[in-house]
Amino acid sequence: MSELALRIRGLRKAFPKVVAVAGVDLEVARGEVFGLLGPNGAGKTTTLEMIEGLTAPDAGEIEILGQSWKRDGQQIRARIGVQLQSTSLFNKITVREALDLYGTYYPKARPASELLDLVQLNDKADAYHITLSGGQQQRLALALALVNDPELVFLDEPTTGLDPQARRSLWDVVRRMKAEGRTVLLTTHYMDEAEALCDRLAIMDHGQVIASGTPASLIAQLAIPSVVELTFDGAAPDPAAFATRLGEAVEQRSDLWEIPTRDPKGLLPRILETAETAGVPYQQVHIRRATLEDVFLHQTGRSLRD
Amino acid sequence: MLMMIWRQFVMEWKLYSRDRMAMFWTFAFPVAMLLGFGVIFRGGDGPRLSVVYVKPTVPEARDAALLKAMDEVQLKVMPLAPAEAEARWGRGETAAEVLTDGEGYRLRLNSYLMAQGGAAAGLVNQAWLMAQARLNGAPEPRRIPVSVESPGGRKASNYAAFLLPGLLGLNLMSIGLFSVGMVNVSYREKGKFRRLAVTPLPKWVFLLGQVLQRLTISIAQAIVLMVVGYLAFGIRNQGSYLDLLIVMIFGTACFMSFGFALSSFAETSESYAAIANLFFFPLMLLSGVYFTLDSAPRWLQHAVTALPLSPFLSTLRAVFNDGSGLAGHGLALAVVGAWAVAAFLLAVRRFRWA
Repeated sequence: MSELALRIRGLRKAFPKVVAVAGVDLEVARGEVFGLLGPNGAGKTTTLEMIEGLTAPDAGEIEILGQSWKRDGQQIRARIGVQLQSTSLFNKITVREALDLYGTYYPKARPASELLDLVQLNDKADAYHITLSGGQQQRLALALALVNDPELVFLDEPTTGLDPQARRSLWDVVRRMKAEGRTVLLTTHYMDEAEALCDRLAIMDHGQVIASGTPASLIAQLAIPSVVELTFDGAAPDPAAFATRLGEAVEQRSDLWEIPTRDPKGLLPRILETAETAGVPYQQVHIRRATLEDVFLHQTGRSLRD
Repeated sequence: MLMMIWRQFVMEWKLYSRDRMAMFWTFAFPVAMLLGFGVIFRGGDGPRLSVVYVKPTVPEARDAALLKAMDEVQLKVMPLAPAEAEARWGRGETAAEVLTDGEGYRLRLNSYLMAQGGAAAGLVNQAWLMAQARLNGAPEPRRIPVSVESPGGRKASNYAAFLLPGLLGLNLMSIGLFSVGMVNVSYREKGKFRRLAVTPLPKWVFLLGQVLQRLTISIAQAIVLMVVGYLAFGIRNQGSYLDLLIVMIFGTACFMSFGFALSSFAETSESYAAIANLFFFPLMLLSGVYFTLDSAPRWLQHAVTALPLSPFLSTLRAVFNDGSGLAGHGLALAVVGAWAVAAFLLAVRRFRWA
């Protein structure tokens, strides 16, 4: 049996007005949590939906768990679990009914009670789908993705639109999936989520993978492991004059300046001094380690949330 | 696989029963149609042709003789004063009226209602010949006896009895084209099927579950209609209930599959409505739900027997109204069955989850 859960070669998909996926190669090992990271419109969802068999690719090869869609469609469907970006069920189906019903579609199914425990929806078991909150609907979608005890699970932006507490509890479920030996492929546009959950990830932009590796290796690839931030009360002023004085690159964000550096200890006193003499009205100074956000910025010149 | 179909079927029923409004109208609409049309066309005393008799200012012996003879030929005579008769004529409600004209009479027929008026005119003429013979003391002319019966010959049924199977059929078609087809397009539009697309659930199981659920709805509907038909109009199923069930199963399978197949040709609910109407109205008007096609061109009469609604209705009427068995209706059922299979296969082939 192949050690790879997923092997993608040269995947392409064009829609009438836009090339959504422009040649993507991916390899996901069994048992790992792999993240597709990128801003909205980067092609993450289209890539995922081609892998899930929902969208036909224009070109490229997809090998899932050693099988291909052309020959083994029904077998693949029985072995994968899918959470779509938005799961629209019938309004008046209850949580338990949905789990039972979807269970009947598979050769083997986990009991609804077990899944309800897993996603903590016990007290909503008999509530209609339409009455659930956004977070509860996402958890039900997650439970549905696990109903067939899948080897490979696809999660498309599982935490988008959730409050912080709901996100954390979803992360726990994903970690449990990994602990159970499942392979997980998820998309997200949250850097912290990718760093917290993913063993490896690929950063996508404009339909292509622009960088991939472990979160730590991606950050280490950056020449600048630290960032000094000056925050302002309100909009950050133009840093051009300050940058010249300091002799370092300063990047302007909405309410802060970022100064990437390899030597924060040496640079910090100079920054404070220069700011003092130039009369820069900053509020606070932070030093932080570079994050995936910085990797993305470095690769694309754009912020993830732009 | 059977388990999967069964669970799909049970779930469809649960979801359906939770939509109280839709359920209410599914049952209320055909009942309202039956009551409405049945009452309008009942006329009180069975299927008799009626004629308006414009009362002469001074009745003569021949008038009494004509009235008596008209009653003998089973015409329903409505004697009205000239002004009343004219008003009724003006409203278009009169099919035929008899007016005094010199020494004799004149018949005025409504060009819109020739089927009724023409038949009534024949009877009026016959009555007048009898009346003249009696007035002249000539030997009584021998009449050709007329009986009014339903085609199967068991019972002289009224319009409501003719209407009821028509409503059953129309209802099946409207569930198929609108309830099934429309609901599927709108669910597809809202992405309700996308999640199913990533499961191994075969399309045909999903579709079959729905067809079976609609089958039970349409049978429940038929029972309600028949009970109301019996209570309100005394209409009874003249045939065997098993035959009736078989015909209903054929019809439901056909029209539900038809709805599924049609729904695969529309992207949006709006475009579906247009497509469904394109099929619904011609089928309805051509298939003898409200009237028969006796006066239509012959090629058209042949053509409609190849469409599903007409053979379905003729078989349903033969069983329900005339108590006929299914033996003589094999071809008609085969036509309906062929449409059912063809539509189902097309639906499975074209069905899209998203």
